[in-house]
Amino acid sequence: MKPAASVLLLTTLTGFAYGLLTWLGLYVAVGAPPAARLLVLAGVGVGVILATLGLIASMLHLGRKERAWRAFSQWRSSWLSREGVAAVLTYPIALAFAWAEYRAPGSSAARSLGVVVALASLGTVYCTAMIYASLKPIRQWHNRHTAPDYLIYALFSGATLFALLHTLAFGTAALAASLAALGALCALIAKLAYWRHVDAQSPIATLASAIGLPKDTPARPLDAPHFTENFILREMGFQIARRHAAKLRRIALVVGFSLPLIFSLLARLGTFPLASSALAVACAALGLLTERWLFFAQATHVSALYYGRTI
Amino acid sequence: MTMLPQRGPEARKMGLVIDLDTCVGCHACAVNCKEWNTGGEAGILPDYDQYGEKPDGVWFNRIHSYETEADGCSRTVNFPRSCLHCENPLCVTVCPTGASFKRAEDGIVLVDADLCIGCKLCSWACPYGAREFDEHSGVMRKCTLCIDRIYNESLPEVEREPACVATCPAKARHFGDLADPDSNVSKLVAERGGTDLLPELGYRPTNKYLPPRRAQIQTAPREASGATGQGIGGALLRLLDKALSR
Repeated sequence: MKPAASVLLLTTLTGFAYGLLTWLGLYVAVGAPPAARLLVLAGVGVGVILATLGLIASMLHLGRKERAWRAFSQWRSSWLSREGVAAVLTYPIALAFAWAEYRAPGSSAARSLGVVVALASLGTVYCTAMIYASLKPIRQWHNRHTAPDYLIYALFSGATLFALLHTLAFGTAALAASLAALGALCALIAKLAYWRHVDAQSPIATLASAIGLPKDTPARPLDAPHFTENFILREMGFQIARRHAAKLRRIALVVGFSLPLIFSLLARLGTFPLASSALAVACAALGLLTERWLFFAQATHVSALYYGRTI
Repeated sequence: MTMLPQRGPEARKMGLVIDLDTCVGCHACAVNCKEWNTGGEAGILPDYDQYGEKPDGVWFNRIHSYETEADGCSRTVNFPRSCLHCENPLCVTVCPTGASFKRAEDGIVLVDADLCIGCKLCSWACPYGAREFDEHSGVMRKCTLCIDRIYNESLPEVEREPACVATCPAKARHFGDLADPDSNVSKLVAERGGTDLLPELGYRPTNKYLPPRRAQIQTAPREASGATGQGIGGALLRLLDKALSR
């Protein structure tokens, strides 16, 4: 599948944003100190801005941007529509949460809104993940890894951002850095498990079954319907050299998960906490963009079978 | 509305039956489809760079040719590919705007170009590669089963069939109601063992494909190259073969 910049930015930025909002909500819900009020307010601001940037990025690939509002209508059947509705609902909830925390830090209203903002944020990420997980023709997406993985990456990237903001506010990353380190470890394991799963999968269909013959009949393309690329091949037939993929996987593992794990631990231990937690965020962002690029580039679509591609 | 309509067993299922035995791969159906649909009410089917190095454009129908095997011999299968108007179309339910829909009365899957935002998700949801994006108008396009022909009362009744069916010189394409067991198309499917494409994905396509018939005569395997034979005659033949092969 073609790794379009708009969806890579959307899923990565909203992951950071909703992950951060989740941690801030839970932080207040479990009893953040009153001194953390500014941290929470600034954090909600950062989360809302990042989410907005991600949602704007996602609109850039639409053929008719001026009609984007129509996407809120079909939430009964479409995960894309549900994502839009959840993202829009999260705004007033996040703002109400920030307002409650501003008026009375740690009040019961702020604490309960903290839980609601966490649920709404995770719900939005879940909807995004289900857009991909619900697509049957793409075996690398339509599996039980996709939805939990998106939630794990959001919680991980949000935790690195939470640790950075905590360090900016208090000079120490404290528990937030432990959460980031734990998140990096979980994300690393989840990604390895995902790659192991998709590498072991067998194709979900054959060219023979795609043309209505018994599925074990040998079949190969003889004449192509057209001699230049068309929409189907550009969008669904994206191919990446195996050795490039292997290299990018290593980059994602090192930059996206291992380095943030190390930097978060350093921040937790108080070694240059500001630089360490900032580097954890930067590495997580670069690594997750690489990982997300691979999530698309290595995904194969059944329709490419018609053009003789392996899926 | 992208929720699928409630359709009882008696609901009409208008669709195509394509005979892979008689299709000669001439692309006439694709050309006539393009011709009809580029002048229809839904506006032109665009082409890009049509006189340049990389001509491209939107087509509702693409004709592939494949080499397969039957009874130890290879055989050519010409294969027209277009929307199958599935009973379980994921392309409809993923649509966030309601632009994609399946008609309750005849099962035809359509895109309302006035509602489409061009997010392309429906094209990702279709395993048959039946939807193509229109770069000029920014919306998704697909086969309409020539809905502006089949119900068009200003056309003579014999012409009220899809453009691809009307033009097929091999009569490999048939149009009708696949829910009616007495229709021509249903009878063809029953007689010839019509099949679904990608049945393992569960989209339940309406269009059916009739498999190539088994050859009734045995095709001899290809001769081994080089003359074989014993004795002096064989040696002469080998020499001749060598000389002629130079």
